[in-house]
Amino acid sequence: MRGRIMLAALVWPAAASAQTAPDPAPAPSAQGDVAVTIYQNGQALVQDVRQLDFPGGRSRQEFPDVSAQIHPETVTLSGPGLGVVEQNFDYDLLSPDKLMEKAVGSVITIVRTNPATGAETREQARVLAANGGIVLQIGSRIEVLRDDGLPVRVVFDKVPDNLRARPTLSVTVQAAQGGHIPTTLTYLTPGMNWTSDYVMLFDEGKSTVDVQGWVTLTNNTGTSYRDANLLLVAGNPNRAMGDFSRLGESRLDAPGTEKSSTRERLGDYYLYPLAERTTVANAQQKQVSFLDVKGAAARRSYEWVNGWLATTDQPRSAASVIKFSTGKSGGLGDQLPAGTIRVYMRDAKGDPQFVGENRIEGTPMGSQMSLRTGEAFDVKGQAVTVERKRLSTSRWRTTMRYDFTNARSASATVDMAQDGLWGDVRIIDQSIVGTRVSADRMEWKVQVPANGKASLTVVFDTRY
Amino acid sequence: MGRVVVLAFVLLAAMPAAAQPVVTSDHVDQVSVTLYRDPSRAEGAMNPNWPGGFALITETRTIAVPAGRAVLRFEGVAQGMLPETAIVTGLPRGVVEKNRDARLLSPASLIDTYLKRRVTIRRTNPETGKVTTSAGVIESGPDDGVLLTTADGVEALRCSGLPEKLSYPGVPADLSPRPTLSVVTDSPSAVTVTVQLSYLAQGFDWSANYVVRVAPDGRTLDLFAWMTVANGGSEGFRGAHTRAVAGGLSRAARAAEDEAPSGSTPALQLRCWPMDITSTHDRWSVERLPLPESGPPDVYEERGDVTIKGRRFMQRIQNVPMAITVMSAPPPPPAPPAMMAQQEDLGDLKLYRIPEPVTVAARSRKQVAMIDRHGVPFEAVYVGQFSSDQRQSASSALILRVQNRWEEHLGLPLPAGGVAVFEPHGDKSLLVGESELADLAVGEEVEFKVGSNSDLRYQVTALPALAPNPLNAGESAAARERPYRITVTNARATPATFEIAIPGPVTATTAPLTERKGGKTWRVSVPANGEATLDVTIRD
Repeated sequence: MRGRIMLAALVWPAAASAQTAPDPAPAPSAQGDVAVTIYQNGQALVQDVRQLDFPGGRSRQEFPDVSAQIHPETVTLSGPGLGVVEQNFDYDLLSPDKLMEKAVGSVITIVRTNPATGAETREQARVLAANGGIVLQIGSRIEVLRDDGLPVRVVFDKVPDNLRARPTLSVTVQAAQGGHIPTTLTYLTPGMNWTSDYVMLFDEGKSTVDVQGWVTLTNNTGTSYRDANLLLVAGNPNRAMGDFSRLGESRLDAPGTEKSSTRERLGDYYLYPLAERTTVANAQQKQVSFLDVKGAAARRSYEWVNGWLATTDQPRSAASVIKFSTGKSGGLGDQLPAGTIRVYMRDAKGDPQFVGENRIEGTPMGSQMSLRTGEAFDVKGQAVTVERKRLSTSRWRTTMRYDFTNARSASATVDMAQDGLWGDVRIIDQSIVGTRVSADRMEWKVQVPANGKASLTVVFDTRY
Repeated sequence: MGRVVVLAFVLLAAMPAAAQPVVTSDHVDQVSVTLYRDPSRAEGAMNPNWPGGFALITETRTIAVPAGRAVLRFEGVAQGMLPETAIVTGLPRGVVEKNRDARLLSPASLIDTYLKRRVTIRRTNPETGKVTTSAGVIESGPDDGVLLTTADGVEALRCSGLPEKLSYPGVPADLSPRPTLSVVTDSPSAVTVTVQLSYLAQGFDWSANYVVRVAPDGRTLDLFAWMTVANGGSEGFRGAHTRAVAGGLSRAARAAEDEAPSGSTPALQLRCWPMDITSTHDRWSVERLPLPESGPPDVYEERGDVTIKGRRFMQRIQNVPMAITVMSAPPPPPAPPAMMAQQEDLGDLKLYRIPEPVTVAARSRKQVAMIDRHGVPFEAVYVGQFSSDQRQSASSALILRVQNRWEEHLGLPLPAGGVAVFEPHGDKSLLVGESELADLAVGEEVEFKVGSNSDLRYQVTALPALAPNPLNAGESAAARERPYRITVTNARATPATFEIAIPGPVTATTAPLTERKGGKTWRVSVPANGEATLDVTIRD
């Protein structure tokens, strides 16, 4: 419990001193009314309305508390009667060596401490050079700073104007009239992102799922946005869709065509405004609920795919799949922004246990979904090449047998698929009637009894 | 009961929103841990430094929730927590939002928070020991050194050679000692509730470790398995309901931009201006004067940089002795184990439950018995590997083959893990082989590899190719039939079963072949001190 002691030690003095000493809370932010729109490609659009006082005519305004990763070329500033003369983004940062470099040629104060008596003596010195070491002129003497190794304090008069503690955005504006002007600052910044995380509790007995959806947003910009109006945009402005149909991913069996009536849209993107203002602190990951569905229909199925007409040397587990719909009737009734679905099931004592997860892409409402949660321990399949007979120089007759075992106490239906058929492979005979879903792929449904086995035999006429 | 600290007045003082009371929960009433294997490890050994699996941790906490909007902070969660997986249930009106803050309290973050604000500088006179205190404002930092404006002017921290330190008026409320999960809730009234917090955490793993003991009669074996549970994190779980899940779970890869902000804070680097002096060139070293009071601070000094950084993490990695011995699991106790993990089905996975609460300590391994079966009949099979250009005879591999069926005193799921086979030798047990087992369901064949045996030797000899089959005239020369002779010799005083898989389509054979694992296999009983021969023709 070291953490607790540490916490107490650190927090209580702070609390005790809160009434007397300076305020230990974070420094007040210079931000005004902030609205942040977060895209799913790691970018955010920040709009910050600040109430600023302008003198009439030309003036220069600094804007602290903007994102540390701001893209300065995307900054726009607007306000009634304001014209922008120029925008500057200065990142010449203040540090001890920068300060010394800028002090070359000017006069500093050095304070020596006598190592025997502790007495302090002050002298004025001119900095002659700061190359590797500091060369000083003190009166008519030329010395190297701390050449004897004794302590010397160096005191500078002031911080030069053009050195700053943080990269700073400054804008020179021409104000038609002086006074209090609401000023809107907008800019793009990287370092903010959002995704969705779904919690799916699967009840195999009732064939239902309870689904909760959370948007998860992260802020790595280096800046906190306090009390901000947040808008999340689903869909990806400039990242290619691609890794959807990869083996092992979840699959969109039938894309939906239903239109969501509750979700706002912007062009091709769905918008998810957060119901209330919230603070997105720096280095924070925040989750807000956006979906809560109870008792949607779902069922378990098994998938087993063979890539080529060849013998597999070991039985391979079938994929364990949960099928559900995002449609309005009997489904989740919403479109799903891209994210990760984590599936839980209750164990014998009723405690939810994690049974697997998978990513989904942005999914329209009304889609049929297959979510692969993992491999079935008890349902396995093996492909065996029974016979390969040569019919002519380029034609072969291949007899394949697919053996399935099921060690579960309930029967299982395996959706078995044979890939790699190309266009000219024909089926001569099959023990179960399957469907040719495409030139390359044939699918069968194999019923495997509880604690039992089942086989499928198919004779292919292949050419190569 | 949870020590509940209400820090309402500390936090959010500067926030425009109405101040929300903060309730900190650091006491866990009850915890359960479900361990999952490293999905990429297959049957291999666990990584002792940072186990690659994960765990579902469910904690029950008692929390006094005030009326209205409040922030609940959960302390003492596992180190490898995946914050996006956190589920909080049991609150009167649910969760408004969940936050995980990785801004940690550190020397650098203190400088960062107090930038442009007033702090106190304490200087100690090295001779007299007199401490002078003055106020200053931090002008820059924490990167590339710290500058302060004092009554005298602008000064750099720790560049004078004098002992100097900063002190701050308080701990900023938005800095926490560890990455912390907090939730915002909205309760209609003040109540004390039991809240369940569950989340996935990395840095755990588990594996089955099998011990096979061959009975003195040489016909049956005893199969025993340990469930070995590993926690590589710095957070232990006392009195935890512990389970382990076997089977292949799908895990989604996290896209790089989805990563949670990490808790690592930059080290505070107190950099000064160039410090060459006449007696050094391109390098400086200034003897620091000894401090009159207390020991020297935790400071590295090198080439003009003074670096202050937390060394705790490095030390932890170096100093903790790790037990890496996995395979040499001790032989099982002769008496039946007093506590056995119970198996149940969890969807398409298998769940093993330790019946009593146990402690899963930080950076530790724990073993509990999970399987204990006796008198399982086995078949000893010597196995050869077909190779078309074998110059001399090779020793065969001995396998103990078991059918995973109830009639054979087995018939239970066997999760993947390492196997150690012991054989009796006088009154001792000797280790005769180590191998690995994949996940095996009921009804499957189980093979324990024992090692190579030079008593049973075999040789595959390629015979001269036959003339091309006139029926297949016109075929390319490569598609020919190739005859082989396989000879097995047995130097043992007892008959032995030998098996070899024949690759490719067989066109002629002098002995019947059986089908095994989808291929043709020659299975023969080699007589004691005798030999057996097969002539087989394979089409390429």
